[in-house]
Amino acid sequence: MVAPEVTLTSLSEKVSSCVLTDRAPLWWWIGFGCSFMLFLVLPIQMAVLFIDGIGVWGVRIPVAWGLALAEYVWWIALASGGTIVSALFYLTRSPWRSATNRIAESMLLSAVPCAGLMPIMHLGRPGLFYWLFPYSNVMGVWPQARSPLWWDFICLLCYILMSLMYYYAGLIPDLATVRDLAQTRFKKIFYGVLALGWRGSVSQWRNQRVVYATMSAIMAPMVVSVHSVVGLDFAGGLTPGWHVTQFPPYFFFGAVISGTALIIMLTILVRWGYGLQDVLTEYHLNALAKVMLVGCLLLGYAYVWEAFGPIYGSDVAEKTESYHRMFGFTAPAFWSEKILTVVIPQLLWFPPVRRNVLLLVLISGGIILGMWQERYVFTISSLAHNSIPSYWGSYFPTVWDWAALAGTIGLFLTLFFLFLRFVPIISMSEVREIIEEEKSG
Amino acid sequence: MTKLFGIIAEFRTPGAVRSAAAHLRERGFRAFEAYTPYPVKGLDQIVDPGPKLVLPIVMFTAAMLGAAWGYWIQFWGEAVNYPINVGGRPYNSWPAFMVSTFEFMLLATIFAGLLGMLVLSRLPKLYHPLFDAKVFERASRDRFVICIEASDPAFEPAAARGVFEQLGAIRIEEVPA
Repeated sequence: MVAPEVTLTSLSEKVSSCVLTDRAPLWWWIGFGCSFMLFLVLPIQMAVLFIDGIGVWGVRIPVAWGLALAEYVWWIALASGGTIVSALFYLTRSPWRSATNRIAESMLLSAVPCAGLMPIMHLGRPGLFYWLFPYSNVMGVWPQARSPLWWDFICLLCYILMSLMYYYAGLIPDLATVRDLAQTRFKKIFYGVLALGWRGSVSQWRNQRVVYATMSAIMAPMVVSVHSVVGLDFAGGLTPGWHVTQFPPYFFFGAVISGTALIIMLTILVRWGYGLQDVLTEYHLNALAKVMLVGCLLLGYAYVWEAFGPIYGSDVAEKTESYHRMFGFTAPAFWSEKILTVVIPQLLWFPPVRRNVLLLVLISGGIILGMWQERYVFTISSLAHNSIPSYWGSYFPTVWDWAALAGTIGLFLTLFFLFLRFVPIISMSEVREIIEEEKSG
Repeated sequence: MTKLFGIIAEFRTPGAVRSAAAHLRERGFRAFEAYTPYPVKGLDQIVDPGPKLVLPIVMFTAAMLGAAWGYWIQFWGEAVNYPINVGGRPYNSWPAFMVSTFEFMLLATIFAGLLGMLVLSRLPKLYHPLFDAKVFERASRDRFVICIEASDPAFEPAAARGVFEQLGAIRIEEVPA
């Protein structure tokens, strides 16, 4: 799992030096620079959007939910993948999780702000979004707690806060390692304050492990609930194509596959960039690829039922909408998405493919793109073909729709590159246990 | 002579620190603590034996309080303070309140867990006498360290040093308070 030449000393020094070095490597500067430039699209897009109103996007009645809401689902799915790998596989005691969980959690914390921004931008009056908070106010009004949209707000809010605390609880020991290796006064103080004076005493370790294990047991059902409630946002309405009981698990399966795909891509980046091939070995990529394959099978199963419902049911609107989704304007996106997310990933059955970095990047990239198409298709197509044909419409994204996508991708990558630079990207304390276990046989 | 915090010794392997701790306990030392780069299996039962139930109880209590808090917010808003008739549903429509109740419960549990972990571990504590010890520097990386504290009734600097030498410590150092 970890190369035999990795020792406790070399692991700590190598991972910490990525953070402590005075000069970031060239690839980091190139990556960060490009990401930051892409991110700059976001404030411009938001300025135009907030001054002109959401008419600058292609959304109009009846298709009032456009790319922004589809991308909200897409981002939250990518983020959820981070928690799935980190929390769910902590509970199963999967040893490969130890080296990849920090990457997964950094990815999650970078993706969640992108997800959170989307509905706020979509509000029309974004300045009033705080009305969603359940607080006693002079207006005497309360949010509608029976609405899935409000559940979703609460889920996302709790998810962000809980992910931050979960991340920090696991990070403190590693910050202490960095503190003890730091050479300059500023870095010693910076990481010293962040490490809170962690000493690694027996009682501290015990408290940390008890809390961390309990937190994992909480985060795992939490992430299932978050993405299921996103599914309920859609399933709660009567719109054909959305009003389906399988939506919550269907959304969750999408989170498993797209989140894992992004973790694979980022793991390959970290592995190559920081030269950590002996810590992030083929074993890890192989394990992640298998998780992704399981996600594909689950998703394929959900697709079968998605098609079966309208065919077997008697609702004309459902049948019509389903026909338009498969053979109408969205047909190219619909079919290519099925190929990208279910058909091509079947290659992962073959072990050589799971060990081939280039193929993994291509397959994962295809899955992420495919999942974006899936969200796009079911958001747009259902609203465009509602129950009454006289109420049908269409939707074309404008340049500002695409700017929102580009800007949030920039925000995500910028945040992730900052994590790469300032936080130890491998969970050293957990990998040390793996090293000792492998040594003692 | 300066006042001592304790005497600290460095060991190379987890096995060595475990047998050293067991030996210290047999010799009658009580106020000693091991510092390791990762939780060494079995060490906690030697250094500080007995069940530790405070954190689970704190987190469970927080879970119950969090759930009650979450439900109360919704009940107060929807049924008492600002009732709205939505299609004839009851004002206190509890099935619809369960999702947010669940989320509030989990949020409170995790928050209590993090806070409880820090309080029970006496953190944040940015300065500790041990941070001045040379031997302690590698305890967060690749060495296993034991410190016999001066507060131990059986503590006597020369004797403690002798015990560590006998146990095969690599380096031994006195830590001023």
